Amino acid sequence: MNYIEVQNLVKAFKERGKAITAVNNVSFSVRKGEIFGLLGPNGAGKSTTINMLTGLLEKDSGNIKILDFDPDKNWEYVKNNSNVATAYSWLSDVLTIRQNLRVYAKLYGVKNYEHKIDELLEMFELKNVADRKIIRLSSGENTRAVLCKGLINNPKVLFLDECTVGLDPDIADKTRGIIKDYQKKNDCTILFTSHYMYEVEELCGRIAFMSNGKIIRIDTSSNLKKLIKKHTVEIAVKKNIKLLKEFLKTEGVDIVFEKDNSIVFEVTTEEDKMYKVISKIFHKGFMLSNLHVKGPTLDDIFIKIARGK
Amino acid sequence: MKLHRINALLLKYYYITINRIDRLFDIIYWPILDLFIWGFTALFIQKLSDVNVLSMLLGGVILWVFVWRASQDIAVFVLEDFWSRNLYHLFSSPVKLSEHLVSIIIMGFLRALATFVLMWAVGMIFYSFNILDISPLLIAFSVLLLTIFGWAIGLFVAAFIFRFGQRIQVMAWSVTFLLSPFACVFYPLSALPDWAARIAAAIPATYVFEAMRAMINGDPINKAGLAYSLISSIILFVAMAFFLERSFRKSKKTGLLAKGD
Repeated sequence: MNYIEVQNLVKAFKERGKAITAVNNVSFSVRKGEIFGLLGPNGAGKSTTINMLTGLLEKDSGNIKILDFDPDKNWEYVKNNSNVATAYSWLSDVLTIRQNLRVYAKLYGVKNYEHKIDELLEMFELKNVADRKIIRLSSGENTRAVLCKGLINNPKVLFLDECTVGLDPDIADKTRGIIKDYQKKNDCTILFTSHYMYEVEELCGRIAFMSNGKIIRIDTSSNLKKLIKKHTVEIAVKKNIKLLKEFLKTEGVDIVFEKDNSIVFEVTTEEDKMYKVISKIFHKGFMLSNLHVKGPTLDDIFIKIARGK
Repeated sequence: MKLHRINALLLKYYYITINRIDRLFDIIYWPILDLFIWGFTALFIQKLSDVNVLSMLLGGVILWVFVWRASQDIAVFVLEDFWSRNLYHLFSSPVKLSEHLVSIIIMGFLRALATFVLMWAVGMIFYSFNILDISPLLIAFSVLLLTIFGWAIGLFVAAFIFRFGQRIQVMAWSVTFLLSPFACVFYPLSALPDWAARIAAAIPATYVFEAMRAMINGDPINKAGLAYSLISSIILFVAMAFFLERSFRKSKKTGLLAKGD
């Protein structure tokens, strides 16, 4: 069953009399209990899409279904059972974290909310700043406070828009752990956007790549990586670096970088070319001191799509 | 409309009031300062004239609080959410615009009432002036009428904020002050030049202050004027609520609500 369903979604804005299409005929669906990633460069239309899904922005055309309901007709059920966290919007800055969470718990009709608030503050390591005003918090603490709000109503559908921006690596890692745990325990459906590719790779089952308001491709991260058919090989030899360079040229690989006794080159993965080149290097008797093979990352895919290559 | 959501927002505005010194100043500092300025001015003029200037000026200052607070609180509490970039979270929750407004209106009225009680007490202590001596019934009616009129102004400003964002925030403080010279708070309608009197006659609040002065002087009250005042305030209130709803929809269309700036 799909908990988020988007069909032919369109949104255009007028800028100096000119219509700019921010979301152009976007369709995708997210299954119940799936973490679905929405990736793309700035201005790709990710946040605009989420804003329409959360009811903050009116769509021009298209259909949206959340929890199998049309949010325009069943907005109260949909909103009571979903939530959103974004690093780009704060909670009320003159209120403390605890005061904000009380307000949102009441808005979402949460019963026994003091216990729930304590649980969330503990989970996101915010207990020691719970009674500090939002305006006095660091950006990382702010981001975590927003995440607490995002989970206050035990949402069935959660929209996370760049929600780990500003977190240090340790807290970001813990936060991803909390999101994964929450999703597993509650079978929650999550629509996740981030600029950190490793994060999307770690959390998301399927990923939609957006560019210029359109979805370019939807697939798993391993399938997406297959879009780039090149591996990067870093090789260091004890001697004969010039000979190695000449050999690599005859094999037709792209040398990216060379320094002292090491060379970095790119080689296609088609027709086992990479394995053939490496085994030839061994057979030719080069004395290797280091060999490192790196496959394409989601970053490479992101750059490829962002630059329209 | 759901009561638990109105309660949640009332809690939020209560927290804003106690956490933010500006919001406390709104209900204590500025009104009391106003009362002292006009009180001392009235005492001075009182020595030169037989007219009961003290009652007229202090009565005007105390009643004007309802227009001032009712209008400014709606606009400022809407702005608070813009300032803290909190509109995104607020309106992605199950809150309806009507619940948002009802909570602001209730909080605004409670804050105006708190200011009124404070000014009434200060008036009694420092100037032996009890506003309820004028006529408790007229004062109660005036409070109702001026509050509705103040709400209408507040909704008008809030509608502009939802339409154009923070760049027109100056309206939150200026609209009430722009109206005050024409609302005849401190002087009678007859004291105005012709062109200004025409504007004043159209403003609902004018008839409340005229009635207060008539009562103080023992003159007959313009009941038709008060009826016009009540009806026009209600019509204005409904029209501005409609205008605000349209502006809110527009902000959802333009993306201002999602951006919150």
